[in-house]
Amino acid sequence: MIRFQGLNKWFGNALHVLKDIDLDVAKGEVVVVCGPSGSGKSTLIRCVNGLEPFQKGSLTVDGVDLGAKGVALRDLRMEVGFVFQQFNLYPHKTALENVTLAPIHVRGLSKTEAVERGEALLAKVGLADRMNNYPSQLSGGQQQRVAIARSLCMQPKIMLFDEPTSALDPEMITEVLDVMVSLAKEGMTMMVVTHEMGFARKVAHRVVFMDQGAIVESGEPASFFGNPTHDRTRDFLSKVLHH
Amino acid sequence: MLGNLNIRVIFEYFPALWQGFLNTLMMSGLGFAGAMILGIIACALTIQPLRWLRAPAVAYVDVIRATPLLAQLYFLYFGLPRLGILLPEILIGIVALALNSGAYVAEIIRSGILAVPRGQFEASMSSGLTYLQRMRFIILPQAIRPTVSPLIGQAIVLVKDSSLLSLISVVELARVGQQIALDRFMPVEGLAATAAGFLIIYYMLKALAALWSRFNRLPGQA
Ligand SMILES: Nc1ncnc2c1ncn2[C@@H]1O[C@H](COP(=O)(O)OP(=O)(O)OP(=O)(O)O)[C@@H](O)[C@H]1O
Ligand SMILES: [Mg+2]
Repeated sequence: MIRFQGLNKWFGNALHVLKDIDLDVAKGEVVVVCGPSGSGKSTLIRCVNGLEPFQKGSLTVDGVDLGAKGVALRDLRMEVGFVFQQFNLYPHKTALENVTLAPIHVRGLSKTEAVERGEALLAKVGLADRMNNYPSQLSGGQQQRVAIARSLCMQPKIMLFDEPTSALDPEMITEVLDVMVSLAKEGMTMMVVTHEMGFARKVAHRVVFMDQGAIVESGEPASFFGNPTHDRTRDFLSKVLHH
Repeated sequence: MLGNLNIRVIFEYFPALWQGFLNTLMMSGLGFAGAMILGIIACALTIQPLRWLRAPAVAYVDVIRATPLLAQLYFLYFGLPRLGILLPEILIGIVALALNSGAYVAEIIRSGILAVPRGQFEASMSSGLTYLQRMRFIILPQAIRPTVSPLIGQAIVLVKDSSLLSLISVVELARVGQQIALDRFMPVEGLAATAAGFLIIYYMLKALAALWSRFNRLPGQA
């Protein structure tokens, strides 16, 4: 579904942010990406929906070659949902309007269809009673659940999450993770940048550890957490698991 | 001094004052409408990536902001006829006001767009909206909100600036005031009448601004 092959990216001439990335994500697979700050995790998943261009290697997403000239990014983005650390809800639209905007204007759904679908999704993420609230009237956890519903309403094939719980107070993290867990169990293809190792243990098929722009280690959660082979992975794990 | 203001003269000149008031309103209204159109176009050109479209818009904004309105006005007044374009003074005045304020309007709108957080562009891009849809549904509604007050401020400046048109013998509020001063040797009466007219327009615009912010408050905001 997603295939990185020898992908390299630079910011400017000097900053080599992604180094020879090789990574395959199969349909229905859940891959958790972790690593220290600045290691290139965000940049990696932002490449997947074309928010960041890359300079070398190839990246194929849902059969679309992102390195090709004149690639139809818009068509691809309809199939790839993205959830941001800062939610990025539209502040001048209600929760329901946030969720139905793209289905109406991009997918071409009628307003009734979109509203029906949007209401069902908002109910699914536990916000049946907050549909007509504006983002500023919702807590962080609620806003992030709206953001997830907004992506899901496009019925994407792939969901990308960039530290979806990092901006949340501890007591709200679970409500967002619960939504993501159920999504994973339904068979959604997901790439999740997160330091929530509990989530990784529970639903990830694979955990990828990045450092300084390269993938250092990757494996099934059991072996990744049980006996990491690299010092840098052990180092990192000891930091995120004991605080 | 105001105690022995000669009110009778002001009444006597009331029809002329009223005509000046209407002319000032009309020229300012048309001038500002033109400024909005020019400003939106210039702004759209400055924020798009093609250089050959951007350069003339940037030059326009820079030249206007760097030079005095009076110079621009005379430039058009003496320059246009040389190009064979003969327009009535009042039209030249309106064009000058529109050209002048248009540059400031462009900057005001641009600052509104730049103030929209990056995340809004990224979120709307990620959901597959086209450039125009992003602008229309997500960016502009958020960009316009904070620009309304400065735009009304610019309108107030434009109304006052329109008094410069008296220099190319357009009959507007200030010009009528000067007439009272010159015909009757009553400069204070003339100036007071002119000031009153401008004050009325100012309060009209101020009321408009208050109305707008009253009805366009974001929910959840005080
Ligand atoms: N737009 C940009 N221009 C220049 N450099 C950038 C840009 N975005 C990110 N970088 C740099 O690229 C490197 C990787 O950044 P990235 O955001 O991918 O890291 P990250 O692993 O997501 O970190 P964090 O955990 O802090 O979010 C960092 O050194 C960062 O400073
Ligand atoms: Mg990041």
